[in-house]
Amino acid sequence: MVLVGLAALTGCGEGLNAVDKGPTPFVAAISGEPDQLDPHKTTAYASFQVLENVYDTLVVPKPDGSGYDPQLAESWTTADDGRSWTFQLRRGVKFASGEEFDAGDVVYSLKRIIDEKLSNAFRLEPITDVVAVDSHTVRIDLAQPTPYLLAELGGFKGTAILPEGAADRLNLARETDGTGPFRVARDTAAGITLLPNENYWGDGPHVSSLEFRFVSEPTTALVALQTGEIDWTDNLPPSQLKKLADDDHVTLGQVPSVDYWYLATNFERKPFDDERVREAINYGLDREAIAEAAQPNAAKPIQTAIPEGLYGHTDYAPITRDVAKARSLLADAGHPRVSLGLMVTSEYPETVQVAQVIASNLHEVGIDVRVEVEEFATWLDRESKGDFDSFLLGWIGNADPFDFYQSQHSCDGANNYQKYCDPETDELLKRAATEPDPAAREDLYDQVARRIVDAESYLYLYNPQVVQGWSPEVTGYEIRPDRAVNFENVRFG
Amino acid sequence: MNYLTRRVLATVGVLWGVSIAVFALIHLVPGDPVRLALGTRFDQGTYDALRAESGLDRPLVSQYFHWLGNAVTGDLGVSFRSEDPVADVIAERLPATVSLAVAAIVVALLISVPLGLASALRPRSILDRAATLVSQFGISVPDFWLGILAILILAGSLGWFPAGGYVPLTEDPLRWLRHLVLPALTVGVVSGAVLTRFVRAAALEVLSEDHVRTARAKGLSEAVVIRRHVLRNTAVPVLTVIGIQLAYLLSGVVVVEIVFSWNGLGQLALQSVQARDYPVLQGAVLLFAAVFLVVNLVVDLLYAWLDPRISLT
Repeated sequence: MVLVGLAALTGCGEGLNAVDKGPTPFVAAISGEPDQLDPHKTTAYASFQVLENVYDTLVVPKPDGSGYDPQLAESWTTADDGRSWTFQLRRGVKFASGEEFDAGDVVYSLKRIIDEKLSNAFRLEPITDVVAVDSHTVRIDLAQPTPYLLAELGGFKGTAILPEGAADRLNLARETDGTGPFRVARDTAAGITLLPNENYWGDGPHVSSLEFRFVSEPTTALVALQTGEIDWTDNLPPSQLKKLADDDHVTLGQVPSVDYWYLATNFERKPFDDERVREAINYGLDREAIAEAAQPNAAKPIQTAIPEGLYGHTDYAPITRDVAKARSLLADAGHPRVSLGLMVTSEYPETVQVAQVIASNLHEVGIDVRVEVEEFATWLDRESKGDFDSFLLGWIGNADPFDFYQSQHSCDGANNYQKYCDPETDELLKRAATEPDPAAREDLYDQVARRIVDAESYLYLYNPQVVQGWSPEVTGYEIRPDRAVNFENVRFG
Repeated sequence: MNYLTRRVLATVGVLWGVSIAVFALIHLVPGDPVRLALGTRFDQGTYDALRAESGLDRPLVSQYFHWLGNAVTGDLGVSFRSEDPVADVIAERLPATVSLAVAAIVVALLISVPLGLASALRPRSILDRAATLVSQFGISVPDFWLGILAILILAGSLGWFPAGGYVPLTEDPLRWLRHLVLPALTVGVVSGAVLTRFVRAAALEVLSEDHVRTARAKGLSEAVVIRRHVLRNTAVPVLTVIGIQLAYLLSGVVVVEIVFSWNGLGQLALQSVQARDYPVLQGAVLLFAAVFLVVNLVVDLLYAWLDPRISLT
């Protein structure tokens, strides 16, 4: 009886589905659900996947991550003392609501983040004032020269430009009004539907609508992609990637990301305060095996933070695995056997696999690793309380060396949970943050990078690839190292 | 006081107890919602501002009474994550969970009643043994495994149904049904396996009772005996199990909801735990407790209607 019902259902279902597809809606499956859509408040990656298509920023990262392109700002100049930047704004831009875009909107948006201490306020910390010089010119005043300002203003949509007074008129957690290619039309538990922004200043979009569906199980997303239910996903089972390369139903995209994954030990806990013990850990790691465990055939072993080819990359890899050396370092330190708690989080399942490889690597040198798998909330709690021997995590989507080093390795850095503190590194970081000459600045960060590696403030492990899959019918999609997901230029066929 | 009044008062009392337990337990779990909301980077001023805004800087007891006071008037607070009212968040997810739970129970009954009755009527026959084997299989396999199998075969290879996702009934009834089939089958098969055993056991017991023997002796046809005497009396113990199953399904089948990206209460509860979204979590747990209590009450009342020997006064 059940089976008869099924057959009838599928029979009529097929036909209706074909009609249902309408002109050309584009369906993207993402693994998480946005918590909310206020770009200034959310910190969730899932939210930014949607918001990337709705809002614009003053500048936008170049697709290859090598610098910044104009977006709402067409050009910019820096004052001689480096303490103020002036932006010429694009003309003829309108918000989805039809409102004209002008300097007032930029002042409003940046001041909202700063004054209300919203979650991206830390990015705009050096800013002392935002002034509308005329209707299409904005000046940003700074407490000190800030050569990395573009990265903070345009690194991602967290500093999006909203229309003046938007927060008073709209429920920004649910409603959007941006200058980007799409606007949010419907937001339900089942998914988010975006429609083209009729007033968009660019030449996209080229699909009738854009729908985000939330699919957390990779197998489900893959089957949905193969059967044509969805057109794009970034949630593919890692174990299937090799097979997928030959699948006619899927176009597989892979590009090295700007993320790094690392291990940090607690400098305030014995015996990890002893540099020889940290060095022994470093010599005990098999980075090739670790990268392979994280992402088969894709991740690249690293020893410094900034990927090759990006501004600020340091070519420095002093460590090759050496079990004997590691053992003798431990013996010198008076700790031939060390017990090490390694905290990982189920939020990033690959770190759990990586931790097991590390445990077996370090077992050979006389370090007994206890892998502690925590849920992310508990993990963050223990991290901020300093309640760990060591932990494993990644740093995602960076743009400027400042973002790679400052808050992680300066003595009072907000993210210096490992409690590394070295006056010379601090001094170098301070100078680099305000150095206007790019070459001199790069040299300062190069010194910083070497000191961090030598002191084992972070043990950098690997640099993963961004992996996404889409339907072979889709053209115009560009996969990006910063994981920003932009559907402005996608078309069918 | 009559039975109903007493039961309702007791229900309210239990709910209050649950609210205290839930509030205490949730806040005892390590993990700071403000840190989670701010991600891995933030400055102290931002942190303090958000903490004060969420009321998390106040003493726990004061937070509880503030929450309870509002909850009594129907205000369950505002989600930390989305800033939406908790009641709206839950109401948005409710239809997905209710449709899955009801559909799953229907599937379970379609499987278990014929299978269980047939087994009981011919104990130790081939059919009985086969049914036992099938139900053993259904009880033993994990539901997520069954779900992934259904996706790979029925959605992937055969392409009969969508692999996942939820479409509201009000939006498109046919697409709602097509999306419902696989998750409902998955949950229904597992529930049906459990129910088959209960139906079989209950029917066997009823079949051995005097009134059935009398009915047969009177020369009533087997069909009439089964319909009038066996089915109705079998329903009493089976109803309890159905009630428990339904209450369990309504509190969200987390794993199946995740496998099929079915955005119901199970997923909501899991997301709220992960985000330490206290207001939503408290609201959801309170709802789950209420569902269990109400289902129990309804089952008790149905008993009396089905079996006049049971008195509730």
